[in-house]
Amino acid sequence: MGISDVIPVPVAIDEEIEKWTIFGQPVAEVWFTTTEKIHQIIEMGPIKNIFNWGRKNSVYFLMQPMGCCGVEMFVFGAAPYDSDRFGCIPRNTPRQTDVMIISGYLTRKYLPVFKNLWDEMPEPKWCIAIGECAISGGPFYDSYNIVQNTGDHFPIDVFIPGCPPRPEQFLEGLMNLQEKIKQRKDKRDY
Amino acid sequence: MTNASEVLSSIQSAFPGAVLDSRVESDRRLWATIDSKKILDVCKHLTTKLNFDHYSGSAGVDWIARKEMEVVEIMASHGAHQVVAMLKVKTPRENPSVKSLTGLYWNANWYEREIWEMFGINFEGHPELYPLLLSDELMGAWPWRKDYKGYPDLTTGERAVKISTPEGYTEYHIPPTPAEVEAGTVVTERPKYPTLREREEKEIKSDSEMIMHLGPQHAMVPGPFLLDVLVEGERVHKAFLDLGYIHKGIEKIMENRSWLQGITYTDRMCYVASLSNNECYCGAIEKILGLEVPLRAQYIRVILEELSRIQSHLIGTGEFLTLIAGVGYAPWQYMIIDRENIISLIESVTGARLTHTFVRFGGVRNDLPAGFADQCKKVLPYMKSRTEEFIELFAQDPIYHKRMDGVGIIRPDDAKRMGVSGPPLRATGVAYDMRKEDPILVYPELDFKVVTGTKGDSADRIDVRLREMLESIHIIEQCLDRIPEGPIKTEVKVPKKVPAGEAYYRVEDPRGEMGMYVISDGGDKPYRVKVRGPFYATFQTLTPLLEGTYIADAVAIAGSMDGCPSEADR
Repeated sequence: MGISDVIPVPVAIDEEIEKWTIFGQPVAEVWFTTTEKIHQIIEMGPIKNIFNWGRKNSVYFLMQPMGCCGVEMFVFGAAPYDSDRFGCIPRNTPRQTDVMIISGYLTRKYLPVFKNLWDEMPEPKWCIAIGECAISGGPFYDSYNIVQNTGDHFPIDVFIPGCPPRPEQFLEGLMNLQEKIKQRKDKRDY
Repeated sequence: MTNASEVLSSIQSAFPGAVLDSRVESDRRLWATIDSKKILDVCKHLTTKLNFDHYSGSAGVDWIARKEMEVVEIMASHGAHQVVAMLKVKTPRENPSVKSLTGLYWNANWYEREIWEMFGINFEGHPELYPLLLSDELMGAWPWRKDYKGYPDLTTGERAVKISTPEGYTEYHIPPTPAEVEAGTVVTERPKYPTLREREEKEIKSDSEMIMHLGPQHAMVPGPFLLDVLVEGERVHKAFLDLGYIHKGIEKIMENRSWLQGITYTDRMCYVASLSNNECYCGAIEKILGLEVPLRAQYIRVILEELSRIQSHLIGTGEFLTLIAGVGYAPWQYMIIDRENIISLIESVTGARLTHTFVRFGGVRNDLPAGFADQCKKVLPYMKSRTEEFIELFAQDPIYHKRMDGVGIIRPDDAKRMGVSGPPLRATGVAYDMRKEDPILVYPELDFKVVTGTKGDSADRIDVRLREMLESIHIIEQCLDRIPEGPIKTEVKVPKKVPAGEAYYRVEDPRGEMGMYVISDGGDKPYRVKVRGPFYATFQTLTPLLEGTYIADAVAIAGSMDGCPSEADR
């Protein structure tokens, strides 16, 4: 479909516009096209960078304290360390969050619930593992009830070691995630 | 005043032949092995005649060499006397079964369920023998038995299978590997019991009732646990609790670690009260070893425990305020800011913010740093004025009182019967505090009073916590004035192997009575460590408390208990 079929414009201008290109494609095709095509164009062009700039500055995390790291997560989200400065605000429901923080030991009983929580989060989403327990089982490595290798279950972008890590380390991990999002090097490739 | 030998002779005279073996450790501790047929009668006698109205918990022990299992019932009194009776009941290892005490003590329910699912000891006459902490796939494996071989398999994640149930739920199932089946860690025969969902659906009587899930992930919860409420309109008809979502099996892990390594695990049991947990574990082992703690170390321990109590109450109250959000989001931020002062004081001594591993057998790890007293004298008056501000803030706020007054009332008799301790018990007016009741360290020499409430509702529980902080500040100020110079560790060399023996030690946790029962068989590892956590007991009262309340109050009631599911699950 040509542009002149929709808007009556002088033929000379129509011909001129059809010569224009945007990211290597004729402008006419881009302007009057499906959402899918628009998405394709976003994927290939620098518009994606603008999107990710927005995403990286509003990484809301799920308030889900599971262990000692959960207490540090409270402090990290509250006034003394103030994660709000980085656009990182605690939310109480997975429907409003972008980042899942695994803040402790994943047990056999909790794993199915946790997977459901992850599925409930809208895209785009990222995952951070905090503390030794979330990374490798930590001091509970030989427990009968602890699930190790959380990386098998969730695409974890940033691991923050410590038992528990200090809130400053939380901030550092968060900034690492933001950098990853900005450079488009995160696991889920947004 | 009743003492342990009087209790023993009273049992012996009332039931000749019932006491098979006995040991009077001190005036306050009685160990007795009771004939399993007469345990109910003995307990009834203790309750009615000797004022043992506090059922403190029970522990299972697997004596694999002797081919028998033991259930240890821990009984105490609410202030009538200070004797703690540890009554042991023996049962053969094949088909173990003992009589249930749920008929006598309401709160025996959870303790017996836990022993059943971990050791496979059956309780005759228990009304609801369903799993409490374990997931269904581990039921029947009896993980706390000494011959349990199950260790985690690293491929669990890859094997998870996603299933959609006909009702539309998504479930994940992890089938066992051939290796697991061969090792015998996967049981093919499981005990039969109705699942939580079946039990809930049985309670639905009419079409207007429905079940609402609060948790495992919920704004309310300080850690994952599942609270299901059966509601009709806004009224809660019945509540169901399911815990064990962060059950780590700490008691089992500690059996595989050296005595010293065990301290790190007590830290991670309840991470906002790690110093009192350290104290409890080390105190029990000092009792077995017969160690004397130097005076300076005792003072350091008291100072740090009280500091830890202040920070725990601050975060507990703060969390509660976020739950009733409209009223208190700003005070929560103030409390977290103020808590940082206390945390940095503790950090200057222990080097860690939450998990300290600071207390050692017969002393402490290191001395107070230079200038600690000066720093304390700067922070404590400030904290005092802030706490007074908080108390006034809550006392004056009419919205807060409209929301909180008369919500979740526990009567003193009920609180005693249900085994509640700590601030929820003291809010009802019962002055029961381990620091006075079973004094340890230098607490008897210090001047402080036990803070009590009058009404026993949610507002009172918060008020008691805040006023307790003032008492703690008072205690620390006294300690700083009196602390002597001297060694911080006992001069006796602490052996790697602890001689065979057992001890029960109680401390006042920020949440209530924390007791640890430690058994040594003379090796370099504990034979058994049983933790009697305060929140485990308080947690159990949540279901009867919620019945008949409004659903909006469920959060206010559960929040005012200052929950720590990590300690309940262990």
